[in-house]
Amino acid sequence: MEYRSGELALGKVSFTLPEHGIYTILGPSGSGKSTLLRAITGLMPEYRGELLFNGSSLREQKVLMGLVPQNYGLLPWKTVKGNIRVAMSIAHPREQSKQAREAQIDQWLTAMGIAELAERYPLSLSGGQQQRVAIARAFAIAPSLLLLDEPFSALDAITRETLQQLFLEHWQANPATALFVTHDVDEAILLGQKMIVLPSSKNDPAEIIDNEEVFALKLEEKRASDAFFAQIKKVRKVMQEKW
Amino acid sequence: MNSRRLNYILRLLLVFLGMNLIWYAAYVLVNHPMLPSPLGVYLAMGQLGGRELVLNVGYSLMRVFAGVLLALILGLLVGLLMGRSPLWNKLLDPVVYLTYPVPKIALLPVVMLFFGLGETSKILMIMLILLFQIIISVRDGIKAIPANTYDVLTSIGAGKGEKFWHVTLPGALSVILSTIRISLGTAISVLFFTEIYGTEHGMGFFIMDAWLRLDYPQMYAGILLFSLVGFLLFLLVDLLDYRFMKWRR
Repeated sequence: MEYRSGELALGKVSFTLPEHGIYTILGPSGSGKSTLLRAITGLMPEYRGELLFNGSSLREQKVLMGLVPQNYGLLPWKTVKGNIRVAMSIAHPREQSKQAREAQIDQWLTAMGIAELAERYPLSLSGGQQQRVAIARAFAIAPSLLLLDEPFSALDAITRETLQQLFLEHWQANPATALFVTHDVDEAILLGQKMIVLPSSKNDPAEIIDNEEVFALKLEEKRASDAFFAQIKKVRKVMQEKW
Repeated sequence: MNSRRLNYILRLLLVFLGMNLIWYAAYVLVNHPMLPSPLGVYLAMGQLGGRELVLNVGYSLMRVFAGVLLALILGLLVGLLMGRSPLWNKLLDPVVYLTYPVPKIALLPVVMLFFGLGETSKILMIMLILLFQIIISVRDGIKAIPANTYDVLTSIGAGKGEKFWHVTLPGALSVILSTIRISLGTAISVLFFTEIYGTEHGMGFFIMDAWLRLDYPQMYAGILLFSLVGFLLFLLVDLLDYRFMKWRR
């Protein structure tokens, strides 16, 4: 993928994400992590290369995608409930009755621990609360593809850990096929079945690291496991070579 | 009613009282029929027939509403086009840039020539005065919406209409309301000019008629009523702001 100036925005990346799988994309600033997500979501319509979904071109299909951007992407003029309601009504215009939709919104708000914020506006919420709303919205529309662009990078360490746990719990209960972009090594190892490490040089190919051993552990066990530390070493080695 | 609002109303009443005191002092100093006392004017206002009052205020309100509505519809359409499409912005920007400084009130004779002395020319004049300010503020308001505000809705597959309804319009609304508030003062001044010809109804006509009859208390009563119309319109914009801008508080 290239910028208009002709400069490469993203180098060679090739991977197959299995249905209900979750891969993390790790890379330094400017390596093209967000560019890749923008191309998948259709926000960057012009690129060279191929993006396939279920075997056919992504451009030629309507794939429901749940995007969780770094800045939460909430509409400031809609309440917490309103934000989720708008997304659901666009994603599934005629599939649900109004009552069923409202009940589902309430369920997601309760699941994310923000039921009491339902009628509040985003500007009155903390970063962590806004990100909970953004995640609730992404899950509520039951997307075919869940795309998260450094969703926890602006949060403090404790809030980040809480949200990582909350996200993983809900993903395990509703395993949408997901791509999770991050620049945090721990986060990439904690959340991904595989890690795609993008190089800083656009001419080098991306490195894909298997992470099934850590992924199979319970989240509370992951951080203290030997496999986790081994993965950190492995990723850091790749980073030293590629970044 | 919370104490802040009560405080605000009290301050308004105090200012109103202060203005009346200054007026009374001026009345005593001038001591001439051209400046009647506040009480004399309020009595003259009380003597106005209900039908006459409703008819004059109603006509003025109708003209302002029609002019503002027309300017809003056209301004929104053109502003939206310019705000969302760089091509249309490039094409229309020089047009707006060149026509904005033209003193629209100077076009009054032209509008009268083309549209006659009736309601059309009055409403068109108000529309013309407001249109360019609304176009510019809608365009700038839309441009100020960060591009990534649309991203989540785009990824869900929102169409142009849905993006307009859920992002563009509410995003630009605060600028639109501010522009209407600022423009209303101008619209009311223009209304006065347009109501001094070709009509027998409206506050402008009422004031000028009283002036020609040398009925000064009634002339001042008309000016006060005209101000009241403006005040009510300001209140209406404030109400809209309160209803739709809750998220900023």
